[in-house]
Amino acid sequence: MAVITLPYKYLERLTRTDRKTILDKVALIGSDVERIEEDHADVEFFPDRPDLFSPEGVARAMRGYLGIEPGLSSYPVKSSGIKFTVDPALATIRPVLGAAVIRGVSFDDESIQSIMSLQESLHWAVGRGRSKVAIGIHDLDTVNPPFHYIASPRSRKFVPLDYTESMTMDEILEKHPKGRDYAKIVKDFPLFPLIVDKDDHVLSFPPIINGERTRVTLDTKNILLDTTGTDKRAVAVAVNIICTAMAEAGATIESVDIGGIQTPTLAPVERTVSVQECSRLLGIDLTAVTMAELLRKMRFGAEPVGTDKVKVQVPCYRADIMHDWDLFEDVAIAYGYDKIQDLPPETFTVGKPHPVQVNAALAREAFCGLGYLEVMPFTLTNEDVLYRKMQRDEEKGVLHVMHPISIENTVVRTELLPLLLEFLTLNRHRELPQRLFTVGDVVECCLTYQQAAGVSTHPDADFSEAYASADAMLHELSIDYTVKESADMAFIDGRRGDIIVAGKKIGVFGEIHPAVLNAFELEHSVAAFEFDLRAVPGYPVL
Amino acid sequence: MAELTQNEKRLLAILEKEKKADAPHLAGMLDATPEAVVQWAHLAGDKGLATVERIVVKVYVYTEEGKAYAQNGLPETQLLRFILPGTTLADLQKHEVFKIGFGQLRKKGLVKVEGTSVSRTPGASTEADEVALKNPSDADPKTKELIKRGILQESETVRYAITITPAGLALVKQGLDLRGETGTLTRDQIISGEWKNLNLRKYDVSKLPKKAWPGKIHPYQRIIGEMREILLEMGFTELYGGIVQQSYWNFDALFQPQDHPAREMQDTFYLRETLPLPKGYEKVKAMHECGGETSSTGWGGVWKEEKAEQCVLRTHTTSVSIQYLANNPNPPVKAFCIGRVYRRETIDTTHLAEFEQLEGIVMDENVTFGNLLGILREFYHRMGFEGVRFKPSYYPYTEPSLDAEVYVEGIGWIEMGGAGVFREEVTAPLGINYPVLAWGLGVSRIAMLRLGLKDLRYLHKSDVAFLRETPSLRHMKGGI
Repeated sequence: MAVITLPYKYLERLTRTDRKTILDKVALIGSDVERIEEDHADVEFFPDRPDLFSPEGVARAMRGYLGIEPGLSSYPVKSSGIKFTVDPALATIRPVLGAAVIRGVSFDDESIQSIMSLQESLHWAVGRGRSKVAIGIHDLDTVNPPFHYIASPRSRKFVPLDYTESMTMDEILEKHPKGRDYAKIVKDFPLFPLIVDKDDHVLSFPPIINGERTRVTLDTKNILLDTTGTDKRAVAVAVNIICTAMAEAGATIESVDIGGIQTPTLAPVERTVSVQECSRLLGIDLTAVTMAELLRKMRFGAEPVGTDKVKVQVPCYRADIMHDWDLFEDVAIAYGYDKIQDLPPETFTVGKPHPVQVNAALAREAFCGLGYLEVMPFTLTNEDVLYRKMQRDEEKGVLHVMHPISIENTVVRTELLPLLLEFLTLNRHRELPQRLFTVGDVVECCLTYQQAAGVSTHPDADFSEAYASADAMLHELSIDYTVKESADMAFIDGRRGDIIVAGKKIGVFGEIHPAVLNAFELEHSVAAFEFDLRAVPGYPVL
Repeated sequence: MAELTQNEKRLLAILEKEKKADAPHLAGMLDATPEAVVQWAHLAGDKGLATVERIVVKVYVYTEEGKAYAQNGLPETQLLRFILPGTTLADLQKHEVFKIGFGQLRKKGLVKVEGTSVSRTPGASTEADEVALKNPSDADPKTKELIKRGILQESETVRYAITITPAGLALVKQGLDLRGETGTLTRDQIISGEWKNLNLRKYDVSKLPKKAWPGKIHPYQRIIGEMREILLEMGFTELYGGIVQQSYWNFDALFQPQDHPAREMQDTFYLRETLPLPKGYEKVKAMHECGGETSSTGWGGVWKEEKAEQCVLRTHTTSVSIQYLANNPNPPVKAFCIGRVYRRETIDTTHLAEFEQLEGIVMDENVTFGNLLGILREFYHRMGFEGVRFKPSYYPYTEPSLDAEVYVEGIGWIEMGGAGVFREEVTAPLGINYPVLAWGLGVSRIAMLRLGLKDLRYLHKSDVAFLRETPSLRHMKGGI
C-alpha cells in the first residue's frame, strides 16, 4: 500500500480549499487517513490508483469531488523537437521507452521530495519493483539532444548518482546500493540498457541508477523524463501520471520523438457506457444527465448521449479504467456509498449445511459428551513432530511448502494426533486429567479431508480407555468397524489396535509408547486414538 | 450458631465427663487421630463451646554422636577412666576418642602431662557432665554446652489441651443427637426405607469442591459456528473445499495478473506440485491478455500456462467459491465458505501464516451493489454490531469494491471485511452471466476482540486453563 504525505499548505493551494474540508472527505474517494500531523497528513491510497500517489493528483481528484472543478482536466502538449533513438538490440533486454520534457518547474525542498516519492511509489505499484517500469528524472539543461537509448557493453564507465568517481556498469551492480538492490533485473543480459546524449554523456543506466551529471537540484528549470520497461501500457501510464502531476504543479509538458512517434499525447480515451447497465449494477436510479454529472465529479469528461448512453472521456492518468464497471464504481463513489439503498436481495433460498461440516459437528458433540476439550492446532507443522517424534515413517503424500517461514512450519499436516501430543506438552503444568480432541482438515497428495483425534492423559490412562473412547466415537458416528492388532510404532506393542472398515485401516488407538512420551517430554501415560472421518457412512466424495 | 458436626458433638459428649484432656487421650477415646480431634475442637472453639490450649514443651534428643556417648560415657569420661598410673601419652593416643576427649580434658583441667606420661589431676571428675547428658535440663548450663558440642539437640513438642466451656457443658446438658452421620446413601438404605432413621450429614455450601471441567467446543469454533448458523438462517449454502489449490483457481480465474505482487514467493506458500488446467482455460487466458469478448482491455502481456498450473496453499476461500460458481452457473446461487487460508507472513501477535476466512457469494439475475450492502448490514447486525458503514476500497477481482466497518463501543469504527461485485473479467470466461456479489472477512479478528486476546496465536496454541475457564455463553454488548 502506498502512504502519501500531503503537506497542508501545498495541498490547500492546489485544491483551493481548507485542509479540514479535504481531510473530512478524502476517505470517501477511497483512502485511509493514517496520521494527522501538525503540518501534513499521511494518507494511504489503493494500488489501483497510482494517479493519487502525489499531492498534485490528490488535489486534482478532490477539486472534482468537492465541486470546485469538476470534469476533465486537459493537458496541452507541444512538441519539444527533441529526438530519441532506440537500439534494436534492446528488444530482448528492456524494449520499451517512454519520455517527455517538462519545462518551467520551480523546485523547493517539498516539491522535489514530492516528485521523488511519486517516482518511488510508481516503481512499486506500476513498476513491480522497477522490473516492469523504471523512471529517471534528469536536469535537461546538463545534456544535449538527440538522446540514444542503447544496449551498451557492461564495461562502459560513468559516474553514478551520489558518487564522484566513475565506475563500470558491472561495478555499479556490485558496489552501488541501488546496483545491489536491482541487479537481479539485468544481471543475466550480455549488454546493459543505457541512455546517452549527443556527446555520449550518460543520463541513465535503467533500471538501476542515473548519472550524477543530470542530477535534479533546486535550480533545475527543465526536466527530461525517461521511462523504460517491458510493458508498453505500464510505461505509458507512468509517463502520464508524472507529466500530469507536474502540469498540475504549474509546469508545461512537451513531447519527444521516439522512433518517429510523438509521445506523450496526454490525450483522454473515449468510452461510451450504458446508463441502464450502471443503474442495474449499483441498484440506484440514474438518468444520463445525473450519471454524467457524477462522472464529472470524478474528473471524467462526460456528456449524455440520448437517454441511455454517456460518452466518457477517461483521463490519460486513470490506468485503472479497464472496463465499463470501473467507471460504474466511480459513479457509486460520487453518489456516496452511504446514500445507496441497502436492502438484501429478495430471491427466496433455503440454507444448506455442507455434509463435511455436519459430520464434524456431530464428532465434536460426541467428543464433548466424553468429556474431551476441543483444541484447534495449526495446520502447518514439521516432519519432526509429525513423524520423528512419533516413531512413524514419513507419509508419502506429505506436502512441503517451497519457502517456509521457519523450520517449525515446513509441511501441511497429514495427521492430527501428533499435534495433540504437542498440545499436551504445552499444557504440562495444567491440572490432570486432560482430555483433548480436534476435528479438522489434513492434506495428503493435494487432497484435503477431515480426521478426528483424541488424547487423554492422567496417571491411569491406558489401553482400555483408548479402546472404549474410540469405540464410543465410532459408534456415535455409525462407523461399523473391526479391530486388529496394530504395528503403529507410536503405540506400545500389545496395547494398540488398528480400526478397520471394509478391509481398510481408517484409524488407530492405544497407549502411546513411552519413547514417544519422552520425545514429547510428557510424564504421564496417554491414551490416544485417531480416525479418518471419510469412514462415516454416506460421507461426501470430494 | 452454625450447625454442629457429628464429630464436634461426640467430642463435647466426652468432654462433659473429662472436662479437660489432652488431644491424644481424647483421640484414643474417639477412635480418631489427635490432629482430627484438634480440628474438631477448633470448630467447637469457634462456637464458644470449648477452648484449645497450645502447650509447648522443650525436649532434648541425642544426636547420632550423642547416642553413643549416652551409652559409653562422654569422650572425656572414657579417657579419664583409661588413665591409670603409668599411662603414657602414646597409650592414650591410641584410644578411639582421643582427639575429642583429650581436648575436653585439658580444657577442663582434668589431666596433667609430664614428659611422656599423663596423669589425672587430683579429684578429676566428669560426673556433672554425665548428669547433664543423662538428664538434660533447661536450667543446667552443662546441657547448653552439650548442645553446642552437637551431642544434644533441642526440640519443641506441641501438645493440645482441650477444655469444655460452661456454654459447652450447658449445650451437652440440653441433649445432643449422637446418631451416626450418613454421607453417601447406599442403595439398600434407599430401597429399605432405612433412610428415614438416618442422620444425613450436612455439607457447608460455602465451600466449593474440586472443580469439574466439562468437555466443550473451542471458543473460536463457537464463533465460527455462530457465523455459520447466521448464514444458514439467511439462506446460504455451505461450501467446503481443498486447502491446496491450483494458482489457476486461486489467482488466474479471479483475474489476478500473473505479475501481481500478492502472487510472489514472499507472500504465498507455493508447492512443487502442479495440476493440469481445466477445460476452457483458454477463455481465462484471453481475458488476461486482451479482455476476451468484454468491454475490458485485459492486462496485456502474455499469460503463461505453467504459472497457472502450480499449486499453492489457498490464499483465500474465493478459490473454492469461484469453482462452485463455475460448476453452478445458473441463478440463484447463495453460498458461503468458512475455512483456513494461508499467507506467507512472519508470525507475530496479530499476524498468522494461517487463519480462518469467511466468504459469501450471491449470484442472481438482478442483484445489485445495493443488495450487497444490504446483505452485509444484515449479517453484521445478526453478529451483534449495530453500527455498520461502508467505504470505497480496492480488490483486484471486484468492481465496485468496498470495506465494511462496524462500530465497537470503546474502540470506534473498525474494519471488518471487504466486499464487491465480481468483475466481468472474472465471471465471463467461466460462463457466469449474472452479477456475483462477494464478501469476505477475517474470522480471527472478531474472535480476538470477543475473547479479549492480545495474541492471535493463542487461538491455536491455547492454554488448557483458558479453554476450561472461558464460558460457553458469553454476554456480548455491541457484537463484542
